Amino acid sequence: MNMVSLDKKKFGSFILELSAEYAVYAPGKTGGKTEFIPVESEDEIDLKTLVTDLSPKGIFFPHSEVLYEYDKEGIRVPEKEAGKPIAVWGMRGCDSRSLLMLNKVFGSAIQMPDNKNFQDPYWKEKYDSSVIFGTGCNEPLSTCFCNWFEGGPHSSQGMDVFVADVGDRFLMEPVTDKGRAVLDKMSSFTDSTEEDKTAAAQLASEALGGMDEPMDVNGLGEMLNKKYDEPVWEDISAKCINCGACTFSCPTCHCYDIQDEGKGSSGKRIRIWDSCMFPIFTMEASGHNPRALSSQRVRQRVMHKYSYFPEKYGEFLCTGCGRCVTVCPVNLDIREVLKRINEYKKQGITNG
Amino acid sequence: MNTTDNLRETIKMLVSEKKVDLFLGWEKGSLPLAATPLFITTEKEADRVIFDVTCGNNLSIYFTKDKKQYADKKVGIAVKGCDARSVVLNILEKQIKRENVVIVGVPCHGVLDKKKVLAATEGREVLELVDNGETVTVKGRGFELSLNRQEILSSSCLACIYPDAQEYDFFMGEARGEVANEDRVKEIVDFQNLPDSDRWEQTRAEYQKCIRCYACRNVCPSCYCNVCFVDQNDPKWIGGTCEYTDSVIFHVIRNLHVAGRCVECGACERACPMDINLLMMNRKVAMEVKDRFGDVAGLDINGKPAMSDFKEDEKQKFIMG
Repeated sequence: MNMVSLDKKKFGSFILELSAEYAVYAPGKTGGKTEFIPVESEDEIDLKTLVTDLSPKGIFFPHSEVLYEYDKEGIRVPEKEAGKPIAVWGMRGCDSRSLLMLNKVFGSAIQMPDNKNFQDPYWKEKYDSSVIFGTGCNEPLSTCFCNWFEGGPHSSQGMDVFVADVGDRFLMEPVTDKGRAVLDKMSSFTDSTEEDKTAAAQLASEALGGMDEPMDVNGLGEMLNKKYDEPVWEDISAKCINCGACTFSCPTCHCYDIQDEGKGSSGKRIRIWDSCMFPIFTMEASGHNPRALSSQRVRQRVMHKYSYFPEKYGEFLCTGCGRCVTVCPVNLDIREVLKRINEYKKQGITNG
Repeated sequence: MNTTDNLRETIKMLVSEKKVDLFLGWEKGSLPLAATPLFITTEKEADRVIFDVTCGNNLSIYFTKDKKQYADKKVGIAVKGCDARSVVLNILEKQIKRENVVIVGVPCHGVLDKKKVLAATEGREVLELVDNGETVTVKGRGFELSLNRQEILSSSCLACIYPDAQEYDFFMGEARGEVANEDRVKEIVDFQNLPDSDRWEQTRAEYQKCIRCYACRNVCPSCYCNVCFVDQNDPKWIGGTCEYTDSVIFHVIRNLHVAGRCVECGACERACPMDINLLMMNRKVAMEVKDRFGDVAGLDINGKPAMSDFKEDEKQKFIMG
């Protein structure tokens, strides 16, 4: 099956049809902010917002997730709701790419030292059966920098179906076999026209053309490693207040804490988002904290994203969605941090 | 000479005459709606300083960051009226010494709240902002709007009585004096008059938005505990989830811990990525403190913080019930 078109007048019936088999998530408004929420009808969906305030990582990796409960009878993994698989509508390229990265950590067969392959069952249960409808961005924001990292406003990485908004219609292109199978089963579509395909190609090139020139990120990880012990981090981090707004809004940050909540002989073990910005993140039982200073914590966040993760997994742990830029209470702009590190590369200076 | 020029000259003088080791000011940020803190040690850097409607950060937070990193330094700081109260509070609470701080007041006409600007543009991205005083012009792709300053001001500024620094070494321009702000407590009184169930419902709905990023706590100059109660895990006082049962406890305890110490600068509310109305509770507590103990946090450098002092004739309602 090739590309299909969906008349926007039929969008409502498309969502209903999708809801029959899937738990559908889409951008929506909660308390004035935008995030991915469970939807049942077209009216709940925000088609206008480009980058939602919260990233969609929470659909698959929720802020708080009960791993198991215990009492005198034993240990139980909470019963899964007799759930439908998840379908997401309207995920942007930056966010769908982030799922591929998170899947490398949670969902891929990473060889552990004891030669066992670890896969996170809580993640896999939700992610593996999901289908992602991603949307191209026709007018990227000034904070978008997906074009720095092999992404782009009309990139379809991490999507099962790529959707281009061509005005009165959505042009849908299956990206994976799973996406193709889902489209095959649905009935709301008409065949795509050459006109729509031309329009989509035009929008893609205009969107990319409208973005600022990307920074050359080649060698960024190596330069960060060289700069690890230098005073530049004190300068970079001076204004950081070490809240977790950046990490919690980030689609790729995935560090978590495990906390027990018990009373008497029963309780539960919960996985909760954590942030390397918090002092307690590395606080040891002895009271010693290897990252006691703000500068050490800011450096850690930058190193993890642009040096350690690429070393281990072969790509930067950043998709350039710009949420951390928008949300930072003191306007500590990650793009400026990276540009500053990159300057050393241009100057060929390795000291200072 | 306008405020910004005046401020730059003053900072240059302080830096060049070595009256300060460091000066805390604001500069234009990478986004049009927010200035960013600037740490000035040279005259050249002083030329980047600005003061306008985007300068929302209360810079006194940096006095207590990383366990008082500037404790042995002479630090200059640009302050709005509320920020000055934070500096005074830090002095009264012995976090910094008066003789080590050079306070430079700026005439403040309020700072913006990003969410109000975005409401005015109906969510369209702002690419440029010009502060004209009475009005603020915002421009984006295919639009230009002239907004009334009052419409986009932070709720803390709309309720402000003391826009000028009461304690300062230099003042940049003309002080505004106390603002008669009769409607300032209307929102609080209206809320108080709601039935219990409605009050709870509103409170729950508001704090349910919390994602526990602690931006509110970390931008707050009055929140400087070496280890915050939410970060203590032996014993653990509070759960870490986003359930409102956990979030409400966090916010209410923080609320009470800054009782008599909150200067109502609104930094918490502007920093909140989830747009929680954090100020109303804080203002309610400040109102109670004023009513019961006659104290306004950080206003009087010769005073004593309400919670550190005791007077025989003060109201004892909280004991008597």
